[in-house]
Amino acid sequence: MNNKKIYAGTGIGAAALLAVFFLYTNPTVLVYGVQRAGIYAAIALPMALVLGIVHIVNLAHGEMMMVAAYLSYFISKTFGLDPLLAAIPTGIIMFFLGILIFKTTISHTLNAPELNQLILTFGVAMVLSQTVNLMATSQPRKISLDYVSSSATFGNVSFGVYDFIFPALAIVFLLILMYFLKKTRLGKAASAVGQNPRGARIVGINVDLTYTVIFAIASAVIGIFGSFFITKFSIFPAVGGAYTMKSFALVAMAGIGKLPQIIIASLILGVAESFVMSIPGGAGWAPMIFFSLIIIVILSRSFRSKQ
Amino acid sequence: MSKKLSALTIVLLFLLSMGSVFAGGQDDGDVKPIKFGGVWPLGDITGAQASKAAQLVVDELNANGGLLGRPVELIVIDSEFNPEKGAAAIERLATVDKVDFFVGGMSSGVHLGQIPTLKKYKKVTMWTGAASHVAENAVGSDQDWYFHLHPWDYNQGASYVEGWNDIAEKYPEISIKKWFLAYEEGPFGSASFEATKTLFADMQIDGEAFQSAAAGGGDYTAVLQRAKEYDPDVFIWAGYGADALPMMEQAKAVNFSPALFVGAPPGWPSDFGESKLAENVTLYGMWAPSLNIVSEMSKKFYGEYVTKYSEEPATYFAPLGYTSIDIIAKAVVIAGSVETDAVITALKEISYQSPLGETISFGPANVISNQGFRQQKILQWQDGVQQVIWPFEFATAKPTYPFESWK
Repeated sequence: MNNKKIYAGTGIGAAALLAVFFLYTNPTVLVYGVQRAGIYAAIALPMALVLGIVHIVNLAHGEMMMVAAYLSYFISKTFGLDPLLAAIPTGIIMFFLGILIFKTTISHTLNAPELNQLILTFGVAMVLSQTVNLMATSQPRKISLDYVSSSATFGNVSFGVYDFIFPALAIVFLLILMYFLKKTRLGKAASAVGQNPRGARIVGINVDLTYTVIFAIASAVIGIFGSFFITKFSIFPAVGGAYTMKSFALVAMAGIGKLPQIIIASLILGVAESFVMSIPGGAGWAPMIFFSLIIIVILSRSFRSKQ
Repeated sequence: MSKKLSALTIVLLFLLSMGSVFAGGQDDGDVKPIKFGGVWPLGDITGAQASKAAQLVVDELNANGGLLGRPVELIVIDSEFNPEKGAAAIERLATVDKVDFFVGGMSSGVHLGQIPTLKKYKKVTMWTGAASHVAENAVGSDQDWYFHLHPWDYNQGASYVEGWNDIAEKYPEISIKKWFLAYEEGPFGSASFEATKTLFADMQIDGEAFQSAAAGGGDYTAVLQRAKEYDPDVFIWAGYGADALPMMEQAKAVNFSPALFVGAPPGWPSDFGESKLAENVTLYGMWAPSLNIVSEMSKKFYGEYVTKYSEEPATYFAPLGYTSIDIIAKAVVIAGSVETDAVITALKEISYQSPLGETISFGPANVISNQGFRQQKILQWQDGVQQVIWPFEFATAKPTYPFESWK
């Protein structure tokens, strides 16, 4: 049995033990942990696609989600649509907005040092949040939906069930993106472009088109998530910033280019946060758990690579 | 002869032109506008509506011939919730625009940055925001030019204690013995928790922090589960507007329904009342449109605002903005001058019927000499409308008790 299998077996065993422990002591930790993990995974997956596959560092990731959430809000309000249905037009609009952002800004920095991309996309983030601030003010907005409060009761424990839609959404995103990358010509081309853009160009792959389409697809996924986001959270121009950071951290934890590991990283993070928050006085420690886990994962990876 | 005639004509023309210049100068002096300089965060609904309401008074004054026969002008600069920008705005208004009065204000942090600049110019200042006593200490005593409309944090705390005790006395079925405070983990929430523990020291109090949506959080399930286990008479959450509706949705999801569900954010989302979950939620505030029933000034303000802007004033900063200009204008009329000492004297003696219901006069607070409002109101969402339940003199409805919204 090789080391990889031992690590995997140990991990699965530990996770199963923890799950039994939480189910016995405080089942809501597990419930809310999985729900949080779904939110984290769903927003981190499009970043994993852009950063991991075609190596574009997009600091406007969270702000694009915010723009999508506002689009979904106004579509829902104007046409009386449920935000979950508004996800379709929002995804389409975000696809084209992604193309616009990519063509006008990011495409000009593909061959430049990554710092240029960082600064540029940070600027894009500022432009997006300030534009929304000017157009919609900083007043928080939220659509009130009855189904969001649906709950289940087991014994003495009541908990919300709607938020299980986020893990489901994350799995759907993952399956679609994996199928796209493994089974479609463009997806395979994207992997090739990510590994070696010059080589890909030599063998006849349209590198510019590949970059554009991947960024647009990621934008569409962000758009769909933005519509789901507004069902649970209030939106305001600064709402996206925190999700950029969390998505980056999850991609770093999972490993660049490893989409399925995003789900595992999100689960670890979600359950750990949920556990800490269930302890009296623990809410303030939750962000620290987040960064502690990232530090541990990155350090252990670096230690393993040295070995 | 023709040369003499030409020279005489030139001299006459010169004299005429000089005469017209001097006459023009005299006219300009007469019509020099009285200038108000306002600083609010215009990207936020509080600042946006406060500045609109302030402009409403200016338009009214100009429509009625101005102030002391002079036109009135309001110059508003956006503070962008930034202390440096807020201070620079005061500097600009004083030196470039040369305003006669300063008005505005929202956020104690921004105000702390502005206070040194305000002290430099010592123009009559009518401030609508900043509740932190730290800001009051920074202004200091013996600053006669400084007038503060918004109640300080300790004024607000005292009015909550008075209000809840009055309510419990008048309605014996309402129990307020056991409290749970869910507070956002930042300075605002933590200070609210500490203040509540001090103010309601004779009651049973517990609390738990949560990460506000405004700080990247938005999951309140853990704090709501803790509150549910504690089973309080009164549940208060101290967070921000972005937490309001998700807090209610998640409370319903975990089946937590305390007898009194109180929200204490600095501002509510304008669409909160549209949700069924808002029903019977209690809140703190200074003004609501329902006050139009009991206050003629409120009704007048509301009607004029809606007519001019085709929107409803959604926060109490709108009537505060209106008050800031209107009260100075009335003092200027009494003083018959815009001279600082005369206006200060008039303001100190004024009794002003405000659109927030109360008739106010300025008096000393803990540190400053000129404090206007000292009380918050306790309100409750009933059928999508914010009704005043305390003070009883402004009450527009009886409290609905218990909360039991989910049923």
